Amino acid sequence: MYDIAADHAPALSAAIVLVVFLWVFLRVMRLLAASGAALPTRVTAAFDRAPALTKLAAVLMLLSGAIHLALVRGHDGITGILFIIDGVGFIGLGIAAFITSWWRRLAMLWLTATIAAYIVWVIAGWETPDQVGIACKLIELVALGLVMRLNHPTRRTWPRRIWRATALPLISIVMTFGIWVGGLAHPDALHAHAGAVLQPVNAVATPEQGAAAARLLADTKVSLTRYGDPAVAIAAGYEPGPVSDADPLLHFQNPANAHAILDPNRPQALVYARTPSGLRLVGAMYQMPKVGQWGPDPGGPLTQWHQHEGICFSPFGFEFSFETPFWTCSVGSTSGTTAPMLHVWIIDNGKSGPFAAELDKAVQRELARRS
Amino acid sequence: MSQMPPANSAFEIASVLVVVQASLSFVAGLSALPFGLVEPGFRVLGVLTLLIAAAMFWLARGLRRGRRWAWGWLVTLEVVSLAITALLSLLPIGTMRGPVPLLVNLVIPLSVLVLLAAGSGDRPAQPGPAEPA
Repeated sequence: MYDIAADHAPALSAAIVLVVFLWVFLRVMRLLAASGAALPTRVTAAFDRAPALTKLAAVLMLLSGAIHLALVRGHDGITGILFIIDGVGFIGLGIAAFITSWWRRLAMLWLTATIAAYIVWVIAGWETPDQVGIACKLIELVALGLVMRLNHPTRRTWPRRIWRATALPLISIVMTFGIWVGGLAHPDALHAHAGAVLQPVNAVATPEQGAAAARLLADTKVSLTRYGDPAVAIAAGYEPGPVSDADPLLHFQNPANAHAILDPNRPQALVYARTPSGLRLVGAMYQMPKVGQWGPDPGGPLTQWHQHEGICFSPFGFEFSFETPFWTCSVGSTSGTTAPMLHVWIIDNGKSGPFAAELDKAVQRELARRS
Repeated sequence: MSQMPPANSAFEIASVLVVVQASLSFVAGLSALPFGLVEPGFRVLGVLTLLIAAAMFWLARGLRRGRRWAWGWLVTLEVVSLAITALLSLLPIGTMRGPVPLLVNLVIPLSVLVLLAAGSGDRPAQPGPAEPA
């Protein structure tokens, strides 16, 4: 669901380089301090004097600063300028943590403002949330929590206590919903229903691709005629999947076909619709053996594979919910990504077409009514 | 600058990480609830997750106050969490793809465990009266 944007990848390297640099820097400072040099002695003394919370908060702010600065190149205009300001600010605060006493309040403001700005940018569509951005916000969230623990208010009023107790959960909730709102308001062209990520394909099908898609549909229809009766499918090795009230479709999977690649005679699953008059065969599902391994698409954009990402599967039948941007699911369910799949609908699938990722809603309603 | 003894610092940092974990669990529980409208399983899981998140907030508070029971429960929770992560990583379902799941499911629980172990030497022997938060 949330990948690493190509122009964000250098930020990960910057974070690793910074951690190594800090370690080497401290070692060198200690060596120089041991030889009696004045500045290294002051630097190591300031570092050693700082509480562990301060040290960690400072390192996290330095990390965030390095990540922001590494991202400047891929961001033009106001976003790039803000990244420079943010990066320099975080590095300044990371250093100030060891030599000043006033940094905490400013750090809290800076961290909160950065997180808030990210939410605004995502909702406005000026930034696409990806794993680097979300990981950076997670780092800032932890840093904010640490700085808040360091900040001992002189007056312990109830509003302050409530703020200290609820700030992190509130920011987490706002950030999660902000990222979701941004995703819904500015959907990626390669994202479809229920966290389905579509295979990248060319925009328009060539005549050859059109013919190949028609051939795949015809071959699949011929192959599936024998499985109209679910009992025949079961006898052939297909096992019915879990039934869910939320899903009118039932997948019968055949583990023996797991390694077949787009073979109309050996589809990985048969799809039946649950109608008032019983199960009705509506299509086949081809599936690749591995996550992230896109299948052959003879029809180009007509036979586009998809895989489901960012889904929480529960053990209670075929139920799912959306994963949070922080890759968390509710207890008892697990985050999962399916191997790429291609559905071939052998009934008229309305406007969605015979290779759509899901059965058309109007067709589903029609099937549910029909007895 | 506030100065704290090293053992307290370890627990303080661990408690912040547990609060972050609890916040993320809280969000996961909340996000499951709309699905609970049509999926009875997620109704139960969503509420259970919210309860566990609430318990984690409580444990973080207990840890800050040096409560032995909070330490014990957190060690158990983090070990179980890491064990589940390890098991899921073995399955071909793409559970750990990228820095975010790595941070949330591996780095944070591991850090909490290390901090709990580091601070355990100076842990109070008794669940005595709390110092002001």
